[in-house]
Amino acid sequence: MPRSLFPRSLALAVPSVIAIAALAGCAGGSPSGASSGSPASGAADPDAVITIGSENEPTSLDQIFGGSSGVTEAFTGNVYEGLFRITDDAEVEPLLAASTEVSDDGLDYTFTLQEAEFHSGDPVTAEDVKYSLDRFISEESIAARKRQLSVIESVSVVDDDTVAVHLASPSISFTYNLGYVWIVNDTAGDLTAAEDGSGPYTLVDYRKGDSISLDPFDGYWGDAPANGGVVYQYYADPTALDNALLTGAVDLVTGQSTPDALPQFSDESSYTIIEGTSTTKNLLAFNDRVAPFDDVSVRKAIYSAIDREKLLDSIWDGRGELIGSMVPPSEPWYIDLVDENPYDPALAESLLADAGYADGFSFTIDTPDSGVQSTVAEFLKSELAKVGVTVDIRIITDDEWYQKVYTEHDFEATLQTHVNDRDINFYANPDFYWGYDDADVQTWLADAESAGSAEEQTELVKQANRRIAEDAASAWLYLEPQIRISTADVTGVPRNGLNSLFSVSGIEKAAS
Amino acid sequence: MLRRTGLLILSLLLAITVLFVVLRVLGNPVFALISVGATEEDIAAAAARLGVDRPLPVQFLDYVGQLLRLDLGRSFTSNLSVADEVLRRLNVTLPLTLLSFVLSVLIAIPAGFLAAWKARTWYGTAFSALSQLAGAIPVFWVGIILVTVFALQARILPAGGFPRTDWADPLLALRSLVLPVVTIAIVSGSELARYVRSASLDVLGQTYLRTARATGQGFGAALLRHGLRNGIVPVISVLAIQLSTTFVGAVIIENVFALPGLGDMLLVGIREQDFPSVQGVLLFSTALVLLLGFLADVLQRILDPRLRGTLSGNRRQRAPA
Repeated sequence: MPRSLFPRSLALAVPSVIAIAALAGCAGGSPSGASSGSPASGAADPDAVITIGSENEPTSLDQIFGGSSGVTEAFTGNVYEGLFRITDDAEVEPLLAASTEVSDDGLDYTFTLQEAEFHSGDPVTAEDVKYSLDRFISEESIAARKRQLSVIESVSVVDDDTVAVHLASPSISFTYNLGYVWIVNDTAGDLTAAEDGSGPYTLVDYRKGDSISLDPFDGYWGDAPANGGVVYQYYADPTALDNALLTGAVDLVTGQSTPDALPQFSDESSYTIIEGTSTTKNLLAFNDRVAPFDDVSVRKAIYSAIDREKLLDSIWDGRGELIGSMVPPSEPWYIDLVDENPYDPALAESLLADAGYADGFSFTIDTPDSGVQSTVAEFLKSELAKVGVTVDIRIITDDEWYQKVYTEHDFEATLQTHVNDRDINFYANPDFYWGYDDADVQTWLADAESAGSAEEQTELVKQANRRIAEDAASAWLYLEPQIRISTADVTGVPRNGLNSLFSVSGIEKAAS
Repeated sequence: MLRRTGLLILSLLLAITVLFVVLRVLGNPVFALISVGATEEDIAAAAARLGVDRPLPVQFLDYVGQLLRLDLGRSFTSNLSVADEVLRRLNVTLPLTLLSFVLSVLIAIPAGFLAAWKARTWYGTAFSALSQLAGAIPVFWVGIILVTVFALQARILPAGGFPRTDWADPLLALRSLVLPVVTIAIVSGSELARYVRSASLDVLGQTYLRTARATGQGFGAALLRHGLRNGIVPVISVLAIQLSTTFVGAVIIENVFALPGLGDMLLVGIREQDFPSVQGVLLFSTALVLLLGFLADVLQRILDPRLRGTLSGNRRQRAPA
């Protein structure tokens, strides 16, 4: 079921049906947006304001109060900066931390700050950094990465531009995780309706339910943006968003949630389709605590009974990638594990027979009512029927999912997309909703976090990665593609969608 | 009148209570704020921040106290003032509703009357058939068709959206309302036309018209003097209902045209379990609908002396003493 009220196929069918009406009623209208000049012509206009269409409106403007991925897309790296930044290729680079010293035991970090100022004019000082880190891991914070950063034991101000952080245990991902933590002015107060960051853009207008407008910040310490500002224009309905791009109301869309609408934008002289890689994994998560899914053979059997290639083709029209574990190719500990559990119905049947389910069994998939999941569930149902396993599909709301599946662990299997990067760590937590409990994986991932070098860390996570695939801890179905579309006169759009980061300062629009 | 006012207040109180309870039974707002990976402590912290960890009666008293201070609270997600948001979004929804209503009345009254007056001609029949048809189409379908024709193909009007400057440039704002207004007017106008037609048929067959004409008045004069005043009474209550449905239609159609009005606020509020926003929008809408019904009642009484002394619009025979 599509998310919109009316299927896209209907919306697409309309043009032909009423083409006659169009000819009769309003002949003479000329397509204006479609002829906006070839991409090569025209130098970039540094004053052009880029209008960005998105379905991902921030629920809140403050990342520690449920701002979620929408506010990451709009603000992280644009309005706010961290001590580090994560590039579109998932590399960690210094940002507000000009230099970093780490003690030999990996417990003490000393950051020397970049000379920078907040949009209010205050300089960025060590006090602000301390305030920001403390705020992020405070009791009232519900930030998504709070748990990883709770390794911080204390933050102390050395002098105005030097700050020292002491960790409770070594954390090799520490600087990476800091890439998501905004440094905010310690005098800013409530950040839900206003901002005070140090990024290349300032917030000039916030219209909830409609748009967020950002202007370039004159006092920015780094390179000035290549554009004259950006406007994030939000759409609740994907068809309305496509229409906005078709009529020139927006210059680009940050993410296409289904491939159905892509043919409308296939004319390369008018539009550029940018396909990047995401960290969004769709998976069939078993409740590994309960029978029959506490049996590795049963999980492997189910996984092998699913033709994932066919699924990906039917959902994403050949785009996206197959994955054999929780780790996508953009992460350092990626291994190609797709063949660990190959598509092989005969193998599935013999595994089921070995496990004592020669006659199959039946189970329920709790399926969130959002996006494509009900289509995926129907597909799984028909695939598993071929090996004698009966699937009941139970459609539930996101709310029910959090209550029943996530909190109470009252489920057999469920479908869920996991959008975060580096989230293999969920398999080290036996209390997580899927309840995968493997002592080795827990040890390896804990050791990896306190490893002395990136190589050591990578090796350890790879071991864990291989183990969860061997155990079919979950059935990882596919990695969603990240599809952005812009008009042809727009360049410099970030390609990948790693955890929703979307740096806009390099986006350019040709002068018309 | 006193009883009618009491009824109005009672209905509002009932609406407030039902809304409050239903929302809290159906959902948990905390889950819209957290993401996968949140711990039990995170969930508890979010509940405490929103105040939903307190017993329901305490929350309810708190809420009623807030309402008595004319405060609709703050959004659970964005933390913005709900009253401010409702007011800001009225910039879109109010003109959208009123313009659609006016346009649908302008279409419906002449069309409905003509269909009744010329009921036996082919175009009178065509009128009723057309209004039946237009009234049966789902409103968003009309919206999609209009967008495809006038925005995507002819490109003479925007496909959706509203100027970020609101009404600073009235022409720009009006332009963005043309398609949504026409969409709603087509659907609700055809519904209204059917009422007008049957009311007109009623009046045209009345003996007082014949009597008036017998006294030497022309058809037009008789209709204006006696027909209109008699015919308008049932139409007024229909108009009030119609204005309310136009408002509901506006709320639905905003999604199709990406208009940042009350409908969008309601939809997103429901999706995010943002109780204060949902309550704010629904309370405002309920109050508006109840008030319109009330005003229609009062107006009918002024126009028709026979109705005075009855509780509602329906005529009651007084038992002989």
